[in-house]
Amino acid sequence: MVRHIQLTPLSFLGIGIATLLTFPLLYVAYSAFTGDLSQAGNLWNTRLPELVTNTISLAIGVSIATLTLGVSTAWLITRYQFWGRAFWDWGFVLPLAIPSFVLAYVYTYLLDRGGPVEQSWQWLAGADVHLPSPYSFTGALVVMTLNTFPYVYLLARAAFQNFNLSFEEAAQAMGATRWETFFRVSLPLIRPALVASMFLVVLYVVSDFGAVSLLRFQTFTYAIYQQITGRFDYQSAALLSLLLVTFALVFLFAERWFRQQSRFYQTSGRVRTATPKPCSMGQNLAITLSFLMIFVAAFGLPVFLLIQWTLTAWTNGEVGSSFWTYIGNSVVLSATAATAALALGTPLAYLASRFPSKLHIACLQGAYIGYVLPGPVAALALLMLFTDVIPFLYGTVFVLILAYLIHYLPAGLQAMESALQQVNPNLEEAARNLGSKGFRTFFQITFPLVRKGFSAAWLLMFLLCIKELPATLLLRPIGFDTLAVRVWLEASEELYQLAAPPALLIVILSIPAVFLLSKKNWQAG
Amino acid sequence: MGLLTLEPIHLPKSSAAETVVVYSGRAERLIKPVLDHFEKTTGTSVQLLTAGSTELVNRLRAEKTRTPADVFITNEAGALELARNLNLLQPITLPGIKTIIPEAFRAPDNSWIGLSGRMWVIVYNTNMVDPSHIHSLLDLATPSWKGKLAIPTANSEYLQAGASMVLAAKGKQTSNNFLQGIRDNADNEVYGKNRQIVDAVAKGKVSVGIVNHYYIFRHLAKDPQAPIAPLITDQEEGGMGSIMNVAGIGLTAHAKHVSAANQLIEFLMSPTGQEMFAHTNKEYPVNPSVKADPAVPPASSFRASTIPLTRLAELREPIIQEIQRLGLR
Repeated sequence: MVRHIQLTPLSFLGIGIATLLTFPLLYVAYSAFTGDLSQAGNLWNTRLPELVTNTISLAIGVSIATLTLGVSTAWLITRYQFWGRAFWDWGFVLPLAIPSFVLAYVYTYLLDRGGPVEQSWQWLAGADVHLPSPYSFTGALVVMTLNTFPYVYLLARAAFQNFNLSFEEAAQAMGATRWETFFRVSLPLIRPALVASMFLVVLYVVSDFGAVSLLRFQTFTYAIYQQITGRFDYQSAALLSLLLVTFALVFLFAERWFRQQSRFYQTSGRVRTATPKPCSMGQNLAITLSFLMIFVAAFGLPVFLLIQWTLTAWTNGEVGSSFWTYIGNSVVLSATAATAALALGTPLAYLASRFPSKLHIACLQGAYIGYVLPGPVAALALLMLFTDVIPFLYGTVFVLILAYLIHYLPAGLQAMESALQQVNPNLEEAARNLGSKGFRTFFQITFPLVRKGFSAAWLLMFLLCIKELPATLLLRPIGFDTLAVRVWLEASEELYQLAAPPALLIVILSIPAVFLLSKKNWQAG
Repeated sequence: MGLLTLEPIHLPKSSAAETVVVYSGRAERLIKPVLDHFEKTTGTSVQLLTAGSTELVNRLRAEKTRTPADVFITNEAGALELARNLNLLQPITLPGIKTIIPEAFRAPDNSWIGLSGRMWVIVYNTNMVDPSHIHSLLDLATPSWKGKLAIPTANSEYLQAGASMVLAAKGKQTSNNFLQGIRDNADNEVYGKNRQIVDAVAKGKVSVGIVNHYYIFRHLAKDPQAPIAPLITDQEEGGMGSIMNVAGIGLTAHAKHVSAANQLIEFLMSPTGQEMFAHTNKEYPVNPSVKADPAVPPASSFRASTIPLTRLAELREPIIQEIQRLGLR
């Protein structure tokens, strides 16, 4: 069916929303190249080589480490029957509930010189042995790996579950050993899932602010934040931001391209999936021990410490009445932003799925720009725009909410899009034929059908906003500290106990969203 | 009874409506108790925004006349002077200022005043170093200290201010040699926190470090047996003196609550305020009538640098460029 496309009032609304979401970035691009460009050359000579090396080596290091952890755990869980398998199945998703800055702050305590890990290590290996400082590449690598390997795990697990066993059997019938089969048949077959998870992990590493700032590891995103807060010209920050966004965009297109190329790998016909093989006593022990270590490092120990510190802070009376204010601020801000995101995202998703003209799809794609915009960059965009062009709104909650919208609408938009696509347009058509007007059709027919998907989108965006750190630090109005800001401020001062209550609360609030994530169909490609 | 209800029972209520908005670059743990005390005793409510000093200057600059901030507190005079140069501050007209605050510790037009002094000094391990061999901070840049020195990261505002003072006192060649020397000598012993430097010296991992003085006393308060001591250098006739910076407060150019702001500034200059502000962190009160915490060497026992703190502002950008060019970490 070919639709005759007209520019309806709804189209103009879509254009308006897309402009609102993309204009700040365009303004950054504009400012980066206006004015004195001598700073750029300076930046090129001094900071850039280090930032590029650090950012890329961290991205590669974390990719390799998360692939190893994520794929091996997923493989064991889908293929073998061992103790507590049902628990590990969802247990390895739990680390996603810990924001990177919380994990980083716990690890600065654990790995610091003279900290508990070094002490126990010295007890084993002698007093002169020192561990690498957490404020280093190693520290950032450990924290980011533990924080992001669940993404790889989720995608690899889904791929292994939907995997046609016949290929492996064929390989083994031809005389391939088990290792050969794994590396030459199984792994290549789940390549789309691996690429998709690498994409997620790299984007996460490159745009992370919380962990690298507490571990003081100079990446692009951290350098941009420092440039905004420690220097007096925004232009250098704008230039760095532009470079980072370009890099992320290239990466995004590369991933899209690869995904299209790899459709070839999908299997058709009857799929036989594996039945988990039972394990021997020794195998059971080895798996349990190694899984326990990973779980303790990524979730168990941090949460245990947070609980312990919270109890200490509580009994010392250090959890004051202001704590409730921070909870209130976080909840009100995030709920407003998530609701606004739903309101702005609906027209975009609706237009793109019901009237997929080039214009409408472009509007939708525009909204996805926030996907490649790290928090400090989004904040910088709004800082520049609002101080130069709309100064009376600067320093108000409005700007902060806009930053959340730009940054997190993409995450919700995906869920909203797929919910809308699942509604048969014939139902809407029928309602219209019976004389129902556009808005009424949407609220009486479409909305009830997408309610579940939209609720999930709302919850996801709400929780992302609760965890948001850099934009909140830069744009919060006075007296509007959020839980995340408190964790960061106290952790920067190494006041571990004071940072714990808000951190623990964020973790607890995040657990529902994590379960939502783990249930999602993660099949890639 | 009838009369009572008609009469204003809570007299301080009218002043309780007063508010002062504080932008602060000082750690909340150090400033909050002081502000809480002020709030309790005067009934004036305080709203606090904590962030980086330079970040707050940027914020003041962006907000122009609409800024909600009445006063700006920092840990370092450079940021205050930068704010003054950008016309973000206005002169404080309290009568006591000239008599209470020594001239070296306030802006020429009194738009900011120092509240407490913090010295950038050497910390040494008493088992490993004979202090009589170190006369100047600059000595730490000589090759004999290779692998024995710990320094703060390039982002440290104290390193930037300290190097600026060397630059102002001794010129560019000397300050560059100093920066290069400590970079090579420290190598990997570069720390984000002063506390960690003091720790490394106490454990004997390195024998000397450069830190703000109060970190040494904070460590000694926790562990009195620790083999560490401060070393105040450059005391010889004509030498540059020890490097002293101040934490201070400025009145913003577009303050909406000037009288409440003045009330707060007056409190912070008063003996009670000075004691609370400085002693919570073992810093030197600028009000000469208030003695420093007995744990630290008395202010009369050493000579501080005479370079005006106002120069920190103009030297800030050049020194950051130089620190970056030389590749300090």
